[in-house]
Parts: sequence; structure tokens; C-alpha cells
Amino acid sequence: MATATSHQSVVSFASLRSSPSSTISQCGFKIDSSLSFTSKKTNFCKIKAITSSVSYDNTLLSPSKTIPDNSQKKSNEAALILIRHGESLWNEKNLFTGCVDVPLTEKGVEEAIEAGKRISNIPVDVIFTSSLIRAQMTAMLAMIQHRRKKVPIILHDESEQAKTWSQVFSDETKNQSIPVIPAWQLNERMYGELQGLNKQETAERYGKEQVHEWRRSYDIPPPKGESLEMCAERAVAYFQDNIEPKLAAGKNVMIAAHGNSLRSIIMYLDKLTCQEVISLELSTGIPLLYIFKEGKFMKRGSPVGPTEAGVYAYTKRLAQYRQKLEEDSEVICA
Amino acid sequence: MATTTMSHQAIGSIVSHRPFKASQFLKEPLNVPMKSKRFKIEATASQISVVDNTFLSPSKNRPQESKKNSNEAALILIRHGESLWNEKNLFTGCVDVPLTQKGVGEAIEAGKKISNIPVDLIFTSSLIRAQMTAMLAMTQHRRKKVPIILHNESVKAKTWSHVFSEETRKQSIPVIAAWQLNERMYGELQGLNKKETAERYGTQQVHEWRRSYEIPPPKGESLEMCAERAVAYFEDNIKPELASGNNVMIAAHGNSLRSIIMYLDDLTSQEVTTLDLSTGVPLLYIFKEGKFMKRGSPVGPTEAGVYAYTKRLAQYREKLDAASQATLD
Repeated sequence: MATATSHQSVVSFASLRSSPSSTISQCGFKIDSSLSFTSKKTNFCKIKAITSSVSYDNTLLSPSKTIPDNSQKKSNEAALILIRHGESLWNEKNLFTGCVDVPLTEKGVEEAIEAGKRISNIPVDVIFTSSLIRAQMTAMLAMIQHRRKKVPIILHDESEQAKTWSQVFSDETKNQSIPVIPAWQLNERMYGELQGLNKQETAERYGKEQVHEWRRSYDIPPPKGESLEMCAERAVAYFQDNIEPKLAAGKNVMIAAHGNSLRSIIMYLDKLTCQEVISLELSTGIPLLYIFKEGKFMKRGSPVGPTEAGVYAYTKRLAQYRQKLEEDSEVICA
Repeated sequence: MATTTMSHQAIGSIVSHRPFKASQFLKEPLNVPMKSKRFKIEATASQISVVDNTFLSPSKNRPQESKKNSNEAALILIRHGESLWNEKNLFTGCVDVPLTQKGVGEAIEAGKKISNIPVDLIFTSSLIRAQMTAMLAMTQHRRKKVPIILHNESVKAKTWSHVFSEETRKQSIPVIAAWQLNERMYGELQGLNKKETAERYGTQQVHEWRRSYEIPPPKGESLEMCAERAVAYFEDNIKPELASGNNVMIAAHGNSLRSIIMYLDDLTSQEVTTLDLSTGVPLLYIFKEGKFMKRGSPVGPTEAGVYAYTKRLAQYREKLDAASQATLD
């Protein structure tokens, strides 16, 4: 899937359906003639990639360095795990959160740990999170459960000093590390003037209908905030510029983020219409697995926990990975 | 306490080992025998990250207790628990390694012990293990105010994280992340295995780096250098809050906290190198009339012990108990 980069931040999609119903009118319609539409009848949301800043320490992930066997042998296949963080302290209080950096509740902590158990057998080489603590904690708590025992390390590039100070001086240790990259582009949708407001109070202030429109439309932003469309723009652009190349290189990726940033990415992965994406609900703490192979994303549902019955080997490669983990732990027990 | 001397020099580079001159005296010179080195920390210009004053304007609504006795404030210090590299016996320093399951448990336990002590403001380092420790500890807090991490790294970050309800702001505890509270930067030892390092450099040399006051590992910080930036930050940013009557919690690391304790307790450099802080065990100080009074470790709510360190804290606890009684009725 070639990424079309341009300096315009435009989201365009063909939302012309044969059906006469005008429910689609909520989708913004900006035409960019440089994009090719496959057909007027198909509803593809094509997101143009905006130049996003990429800065992280490449020494932690040089493709030429030692990488676990599995991903090197079949570099055309990679696992992508999406985890939406669990309950935050403002969810509990029913306040609009958006980009306010509110931490998890005890329940949210447990959801993260549960999610971790479900992905404990799926390889992870690199982790992307938002810049908000609830997503970062979710990732770190989930990884505590991971069987591989590689250590996640958060990369710091906010300043020269931060970069220098967080440097690792042992190659062997670097090879046993999973870089964690925080990115604001994966943040929750920014809710503008509603941030911190109580949902009831907001309905009283602005009227129920207006609030419903802000929450559920695709392109109408709350005052000084982002619409879902705007959120999708920067989240998908980031995904295309920074995450997809990793998958293409055979790296297994985990993304721990938020409802709206993940829906945006799923919209891209599953080629959803904007109508479909506004009604898409992601469960919290339930990881979603995709397999990236030959440029395509194949949806693989939710991995089951290690003690649950179910199909856990989504591909041959993952089955081999799991086998290897089993063998390793047997050796330790023996 | 003497005022902080501010200078416009940026904090010294940590790359080279620069000789530290104990030239500026912040505290009144004591009659100390020459054999024990008393190191006075020179406050260098530390980045004062502006605490969003709308959260904490002294004139605005603050919990009544702290308003009445605004000359008294609680200071809690918590050292984070086990990290994934502790487990692997690797030198961590400023590498941003997260907590283990055990470390998570330690944070929650620490939280139970401070659940009855008021917290208005939280300072952490910029490393996830300290931040997680703070957030996990606060899930246990009885007050139910919500910690909110302030973002000042860019105008956008500030704008995007803005809270638009005053009432919500009042129910918030600002959390400020500061690199100055980071663990001591261990330079070229970061990521090295402790055994491997002893083999490479010799046990004695390594011991010297780890336990001396002023000798830094290659490209790293000495404890002295760590203390310099940590204490400067404390004096510039944390102490004024305490002086205004705000109760503060600091979640940080072994060396940054020892440095602060060296300042609070007036320790010598000799004393500080032998000071060991337990992980996950909160330490309480009461700041009153310009002085720091050590109050040991708060006990958990189910443990027998003296929990009312001052009359004000006793009243605070009473208020919490009354509030939960009311909800039970």
C-alpha cells in the first residue's frame, strides 16, 4: 500500500452510494483530484498522509542486527496488536476526557493486565503508545504478562539531553529490548471546550442534540476541538509513516491507544466508510489482532487468554512462535 | 532557610567530570569538623516548569484544612519499586525501564499507607517507573481527587491538555514530571550487567562509582551532580509549594530522593552515601515554619500505629472517616 504524502491535510473519500438515503451527508466531502478513486460506488476513506515527525533511536531496531529468528525468516508477515486502554478516573466520574492526561482506575489496571495475558504468546518487537499515561500504563502493565521476557524501554527524544541520558550501552541488552515510542498523534481525540465537563452539565449547556452531534458525527468538531475526521487524519498519517513500514519490515507491533485514534486506524485497516466508523465500538482492554502480509491487513479478532479454549495459532508462524515459547519454558522447568 | 541563589548558567554538562566547588553556601555555616565533608548544594538555574496556576491558586478554593494552617504542609517521598532491569541486575540509571509485577504491587502497597494523608500536588521524574508508582499509589487514595499530568513540552501539548471546567480543576491534583528528579545518570554503565561491569572495570572501580559522592562513572553523573540538580529543583519548585501550605508527594528514585533527604535532614556527604531508602515505603515529612520534621513511615490503614502525625493530619483523617460514614448511611 503506497503512501501518498503531501503537504495538504486532506481527507477525501467517495461517499456516493447508490442508495438514495442521505444519511451519508454527515461525511465531509473534500475532493482532491490527485487521488484516484477506484469506483464511485465504493466507499473508501482515503487518508492522505501528512508529514509527521519521526524521531526515535534506530540503534534499538536496526534490521541488520540480531532479531528473533521467527520474524527474520518470514519478513513478509507481521503481527499487529491493538489495545484500547481501560477505565480512567474520569470515565468513572463521567467527565469528557479527550487529551487531558488522566490515569487509570484500579479496574483499568486490571483490564490492562488481562489484555496482557491474552497477548502473552504473540511476538512483540516494537510498541507505539500515545503520549498519555493511561495508554502507556496499559502497554507496560500488559507487557508484564508477556512470556518472551524482553524488556520494554521507552524512548526519549524530547531533547538532546533526554536522548543522551536514556542511552543504553550494551548491545546485548539492546537486543533484549522492545522500544516503546510515545506519539501524540495516537492521542485520544481532542475534545476542546468539553474537556473536563460533566456529560450531563454539557447537555444542559449546549443541548442534547448538539452534544450528540459532536460525539457521534464524523466531521463536526466540538468548540476548539477535533472532529473524528481530524483525529483520523493525524492518527492514520502517523500509522502510515511510522508503523506500517515496521510491519513491512517484518516487525511485530503493538499499539496501545484510545477509542478514537484506534477506530481511525481500524477504519484504514478495514477500509471502513465514515458511516461505519462512527458506529464502531472498541471494547476496552480486549486486544485486537491483525496479520500484515504482502501489503494487506487481515483481521484476526481477539486472541484468547492462555487458559481459554480457542484457536490461538492464527498463522503458521505464530504457531511456531508459541511452540518455541513452550519449549523454552520447559527447558527452564526441566 | 536561606534563599536560593539563582545563576544563569545552564546546569553543568554531565559528559565531563567537572570538579565541584562547595563555594556557595545556602545554609548557615555550621561548626563542622573538617574531616566530615559537608557539601552545600549550589542551586543552578533549573527549569521552573510553570505549574498551571489555575489548578492551585492559593487564593482559590483549597481544602479547608490546609487553609487554616497554611504554615504546615505534608511532604511524602516514595521511591519506586522493582523494575525489569533490577530483576535482571542491569545498571538502569536514566534508561526508561518499567516496573515488574512486584514493583506494581509495591506501588499499590505504598498507596495504602498514604491513603489518609492529604495530597495537593505530585512531582515525579520523567521516567515511567516513577510515574506509574505515583498513579498506582493514588488509586488507593481516599480523597478521590483525580491526578492529572500536566503537559508543558509544547504549546500544543499545553493547549490540548487543557481542562475547561473550574469545578473539575478543583477536584484535580496536578502531577508535574521533571527530569531533574530522574535517577542518577549512570553514563556508560547503563544497560551493563553488574557482573560484566566488574569484570570490565574491576570491582573496586565499580564500587567507587557506585558508592562515592563525587566520582562519576564514564559520561555519567556522580551522586553530587545528581544532588545538585535534584535539590535545586526541590528548592525552586517544590519548597515554595509547601511554604504555601500545599501538601506534596514526590515519587522518584533512590539517588534523587537521597539527595533531597540530604537537604531536608542536613546530612553530610558521608552520611548520604550510606543512606538506603526502602523501595515502596513512603517517608513522611512535615514542613512547618520553614523547617522539615521527619515523621518516619506512615502505617497502612489496617496496621496499629500512630497515624496522626500532627493535629491537622488527625483532623484530615477524621474528615475522611466522617465522609465515608456519610456515604455508608
